[in-house]
Amino acid sequence: MQLYGVRRAAVATARYSGNKEMERTMTLSLRESVNLITDPKNLDGSVEEVFQLMLGVNCQRYEGPVEIAEPESVTAVVGFGGLLSGACVFRSGAVAAVKIAAHMTGMEFDEIDDTVKDGIGEICNMLAGAWKGKVPDLAANCGLSVPAVITGRDYNLHVQAPEFKLFHTYHFDDASFEVMIICDGLQ
Amino acid sequence: MSEVRTLIVDDSSVMRKIVERSLRQAGLNPLVVFEAGSGVEGLELLKSQPVDLILSDINMPSMDGLEFLRQLRAQNLAPNVPVVMITTESSEEHVKQAILAGAQGYIRKPFTAEQVKERVLPLLTAA
Repeated sequence: MQLYGVRRAAVATARYSGNKEMERTMTLSLRESVNLITDPKNLDGSVEEVFQLMLGVNCQRYEGPVEIAEPESVTAVVGFGGLLSGACVFRSGAVAAVKIAAHMTGMEFDEIDDTVKDGIGEICNMLAGAWKGKVPDLAANCGLSVPAVITGRDYNLHVQAPEFKLFHTYHFDDASFEVMIICDGLQ
Repeated sequence: MSEVRTLIVDDSSVMRKIVERSLRQAGLNPLVVFEAGSGVEGLELLKSQPVDLILSDINMPSMDGLEFLRQLRAQNLAPNVPVVMITTESSEEHVKQAILAGAQGYIRKPFTAEQVKERVLPLLTAA
């Protein structure tokens, strides 16, 4: 699975939005804010905020290694474009995905159907937005793509030499999921 | 409160349901909801359905929420109907663009029903 498509989409979104402020501040550099951008607490705070407000559940970060043992998994990707390029990636097994969609909609699901995929895409979208919103310069100079959602078995996500990567695992309701922020370009 | 006819524009059907639920929790009853999966669909729907309130996402494929809003104003569809943008984009510049395009309100995702109530009800009262 490659991230180039969603990154291009995010760049296009940033351009299409006619964001004059973004154009004007392209001489800005986010490198001075890199410590703030890579602060793991920002990602934890974003996950807690999104899950508390939209699902009404508390999420706990899990520090140990977690394998998603279920055969089927769902991955949502939202690209970043602008002064930071990369992606926010959400990944979980079917159990967590179905629980999340159930909390969002008040409906019950037996499998990863289109509504579940839609809900997971939106969760990833809100996580990406909340995360970049923690750093004002990032919020103002970085656009988001629409979410892409992939489901299936036996696939891996590969990113070549990112500038930085945050990779966290979270638990809620006896289910777990992973959130990854990958930056492959920082101006 | 009399019937509130509301158009919700969002490419995510899940988000449309969440917005509808939040409006009901905010006390907008009776509520009649029209859903559109894109700005284009929203504009088409407004040609045949009068509404009292429009809530729109910004980041959507084919026609984004800001373009939807510009087209809405340019075509004089739903004049004087308050439009509230609901989006993950929350920088001052994004809010400014939405206001310039003709939005009366702005709600950042994730949101609570209380936030929806605070931002939407005054607009309906004013209208």
